[in-house]
Amino acid sequence: MTPNALVVGELHDGHLAASTLEVIGVARALAGGAVAGLVLGAGAKAAASEFGRFGVPEAYALDDPHLDAAPAGARAAPVAATAREVGASLLLTASTTAGRDLLGRLAVAWDAAVATGVTEATAFEGGVRVRRPVFGGRATETIRLEGSRVAIATRPHAFAAVAESPVPCVVHEVPAPVLSEAYTAPQRTGVAVTARGAGPSLTDASIVVSGGRGVRAPENFRLVEELAASLGAAVGASRAVTDAGWRPTSFQVGQTGRAVSPQLYIAVGISGAIQHIVGMVSSRVIVAINSDASAPIFRVADYGIVGDLFQIVPALTAEVRRVRGA
Amino acid sequence: MEIVVCVKPVPDAETRLRATSDGTRLDPEGVKFVLAGYDESAVEQALLLKESIAGSRVHVVAFGPAPRTEEVLRATIALGADQATWVDSGADAGAEPVRAARAIAGAIASAPHDLVLCGKQANDDESGLVPAALGELLRVPEFSCVVDLRWDSATSRFRFQRPIETGVESWSAPAPLVVGLQQAWNDPRTAKLPAILKSRKAAIGKVAAASASSESRVVAERFELPPPRTGAKLIEYKTPEDAAQQLVRILREEAKVFP
Ligand SMILES: Cc1cc2nc3c(=O)[nH]c(=O)nc-3n(C[C@H](O)[C@H](O)[C@H](O)COP(=O)(O)OP(=O)(O)OC[C@H]3O[C@@H](n4cnc5c(N)ncnc54)[C@H](O)[C@@H]3O)c2cc1C
Repeated sequence: MTPNALVVGELHDGHLAASTLEVIGVARALAGGAVAGLVLGAGAKAAASEFGRFGVPEAYALDDPHLDAAPAGARAAPVAATAREVGASLLLTASTTAGRDLLGRLAVAWDAAVATGVTEATAFEGGVRVRRPVFGGRATETIRLEGSRVAIATRPHAFAAVAESPVPCVVHEVPAPVLSEAYTAPQRTGVAVTARGAGPSLTDASIVVSGGRGVRAPENFRLVEELAASLGAAVGASRAVTDAGWRPTSFQVGQTGRAVSPQLYIAVGISGAIQHIVGMVSSRVIVAINSDASAPIFRVADYGIVGDLFQIVPALTAEVRRVRGA
Repeated sequence: MEIVVCVKPVPDAETRLRATSDGTRLDPEGVKFVLAGYDESAVEQALLLKESIAGSRVHVVAFGPAPRTEEVLRATIALGADQATWVDSGADAGAEPVRAARAIAGAIASAPHDLVLCGKQANDDESGLVPAALGELLRVPEFSCVVDLRWDSATSRFRFQRPIETGVESWSAPAPLVVGLQQAWNDPRTAKLPAILKSRKAAIGKVAAASASSESRVVAERFELPPPRTGAKLIEYKTPEDAAQQLVRILREEAKVFP
């Protein structure tokens, strides 16, 4: 396989997203040849030069605000064209909603062997070998992606962010695609930025603290939020909480909510129904706080405290604040 | 409205997973296969749309081997689907997602489809690739992570929301459309016994999967199960403060999850 790699980055507040920095690290480790970057959407041109800070000397930018409000499929053709232009045999992106949409498209549009949710990747003669959790983290599969075009999406937090190593970066502009009627007809009619407290977003956070029905009333959810704040964590919730309207559905973790895989997941007053488990079981370390020692959450947790959350959680918040000197 | 729902048989959540003796993949022996969780929602949503839009039909399509694929298709007929098509993967089937999408696209491209509904991902491989690959193959827009999918007959457009990482997007789009569904309006219904009995005799259309022409290959190499979780290490404590101190020490020194 020819050794060049293309990183398709995502923008976050006009800058390369944290997950993109992880992808760059993987690309530099895997590519035998040059690594190039690509970003699309409003502000792409300004952000593209940031690739240089992370040792990527060449970047492509498709600075077209229309793309942000177009269906994901509108990106496939320009991405595939850029991959051909840089002579990439490997394309990498983050396994986010947009990243997975892109890979499904590229499997066809770029005729590539693809895998999402990748947590380990090594190159071999003729392709890339990847490992990825399956069955909600109950198993891991190793698959070989073979052929002269391979695309992988790496799971956020599974890889370390690349260290800064600035090089000069040449930015090329990619012409905007001419979209067929099918892709211009859909209209994005609104965007509501996720309701969340201060702190990181649920899917980006390296620590998540979630509360369940055990907190008993909406005003008690403050206990969960204070623990999260002390840890710099995002706040999540079980469906019992979002169904009751104690917190918006954007907080929900699980089958019908978000899937998260932070370094640390703390479940407070959550029983551990299978639909909740599938959304958090691939977290690296799981802690459960529950008054019922037989709650299923303790079967997937690494550490557990059997006790009353109304006593344990405030003590934990105080202890975290103490050790962090805050 | 012609609604096509793509479904996949996956191991029941309670099934004990085991690798084949060569260790390359899941051993299907003795595994109970059921409709994937998000696919159940997709079927439910299709039935709800059918009930609210006069003259609608629900056609369920599944790619996979015998007998499990036929069984889940029968289950969808018992729930109320009008037509079922089994795209036979042959016996060797690792249902590699892009291969599945190509096979399904081949089977439905010439069948009427105003809406192609998939679960946003299957509970086994969790790839989430099929909706986007189908969109590309059928040359129609595709949206993943969709909730609150409605048909607005006044404007002849679908309206829906997508809770994604950065926030919740609202969209409107005309047919045809491919949707990766996250959630139906309500939890999936269960089939009634008479309908289940009747579905046993229902006709299931069968087509052979078109052979793939790509030089790219995905090869299963290893399927590993982590050592069974022994359950949480429970912290023994005297006071809440004691529990908190122990946990924080473990998280910093043993698990090393925060400084
Ligand atoms: C199709 C479908 C999709 C679903 N999707 C999701 C999903 O995405 N996410 C999700 O979370 N659920 C989902 N569910 C719901 C799921 O089945 C459970 O009902 C839900 O997760 C339960 O939430 P819970 O653990 O907060 O509540 P419960 O199951 O009621 O558990 C509350 C826990 O709090 C503990 N507790 C009570 N008081 C205290 C105290 N003082 N101190 C400590 N602990 C205490 C109890 O021991 C108990 O274990 C779904 C269900 C269906 C059918």
